[in-house]
Amino acid sequence: MQSINKIHNVQNITRIYALSKRNVILRYKNSLIGFFWGFFKPLLYLFIFIVIFKDNPNAPPNYILFVTSGLILWFFFSNVTGQAVGSIVGSAGLLKSLNIPAYFFPLSETISELFNLLLTLVVFLFIMNWFGIVYSPRILLVIPLIFLFAIFSLGLNLFLCSINVFFRDVGIIWNTIQPALFFLTPIGYRELPGKYKFIMDCNPIYYFIKVGRDTLCEPIVPSWHDWRNCIIISVGMYLAGQFVFNRLKNQFISAI
Amino acid sequence: MDSDIIIKVENVHVSFWQNNVGVYSIKDLITQHKMPFKTKTILNNISVDVRRGESLGIVGRNGSGKSTLLRTIAGIIKPDKGKITVNGTFAPILALGAGLESELTGYENISLLLALYGRVKVNSNAIESIKEFSELSDEVLCMPVKQYSSGMVARLAFSISLANESDILIIDEVLAVGDQGFQAKCMDKIFQIKAQGKTILFVSHFPEYVAKICNNAIMLDHGELIHRGTSEEIAENYRQLF
Repeated sequence: MQSINKIHNVQNITRIYALSKRNVILRYKNSLIGFFWGFFKPLLYLFIFIVIFKDNPNAPPNYILFVTSGLILWFFFSNVTGQAVGSIVGSAGLLKSLNIPAYFFPLSETISELFNLLLTLVVFLFIMNWFGIVYSPRILLVIPLIFLFAIFSLGLNLFLCSINVFFRDVGIIWNTIQPALFFLTPIGYRELPGKYKFIMDCNPIYYFIKVGRDTLCEPIVPSWHDWRNCIIISVGMYLAGQFVFNRLKNQFISAI
Repeated sequence: MDSDIIIKVENVHVSFWQNNVGVYSIKDLITQHKMPFKTKTILNNISVDVRRGESLGIVGRNGSGKSTLLRTIAGIIKPDKGKITVNGTFAPILALGAGLESELTGYENISLLLALYGRVKVNSNAIESIKEFSELSDEVLCMPVKQYSSGMVARLAFSISLANESDILIIDEVLAVGDQGFQAKCMDKIFQIKAQGKTILFVSHFPEYVAKICNNAIMLDHGELIHRGTSEEIAENYRQLF
């Protein structure tokens, strides 16, 4: 937890804020519709899912809401890991001239993507309200869920970005296996059928999507059992990612 | 420790992992059955003391470890062995285009870098003085840095770096770019900083600059410290290398 302790001072908070702000600016710079790209991709996927599953008698009720809540969480995960994997390599100039912890780069990528997720969620809630969905205070449970999901993503980011320093194809490999992971995660459907269920059980993202969807659109409160899984997975991933990162960080400068 | 000594480098040893020839990706790792890295010594047993207010020049051939020594002193690279004690604050290392984000505008870079240097509040005075020193117009500072000429990049980087109030200034071969007017201005500024009693670490391939700016100098070769002396002596030694 030594990296976390370093954040406890105003200078470092300013630094992380400045880096996160840079990420947000860079992401939408020179783009036609800027922030709305964040909606465009989920909307396209939503459209595809509706076309495929609209006549399926087993489709969950409120199918649009069901898919959208899963998609929003998925795209947070997909964007944040996709951006962060190159965060150390891409910051070579800064890392080589300033004594600033390398840890700040994957962290600020996670923070700027969290900011995007919050904006998307606000818009999502307005749209759903417009569709006639009335929310109960239970929806606030999405906040701890997002927090846990962000910890999980940060752990994975630490792992990916540090390995990517030494093997530059890690980013490419990760972006290649993401679509497979997407379809193995129950976003357009509730569960994989019987004999494939173990694949789903091995997929850490499944647990976050499940709790997120429960809070956002299902009439049930996520069980303690589900929460416990999310906590174990996110803390475990974070510790593993930080371990790898700390083992490799002293060699970053020579390799970027 | 002598309170007069601002930087104390004791028996510092730095090594890098070097890619084994031909292993750059996981594919290579799997298909070539080679260890991906070997260790290469970059700095070997370096000891240097720098007194407060002193300017130390560092010369040596390409690849002799000059930049690595600067980065190690600045805390960017952790030494494998040895100890570095620093009694002051650093301005960021001034290297070509260091840390400038090419997609961001000049102004955005200024506020990003000032924040990263640890300025909690950026007031308009700081930005104004950077703008003034760099002699870049409003129009230029609103353009993305990728559209700058190399001289303009150097002006901006130098100006931002100097805007920081710190005890130690590290300059890594930046005076080579920029037109004569700006070079002269930078020299003036460096002498001014020196006159304020600040410490300067200066890497250059121009012996005349080293002799002019520095009191003392060291020469590195293949990671070893081979000469130390006054800046004139070392500048002369360096000239004889070639």
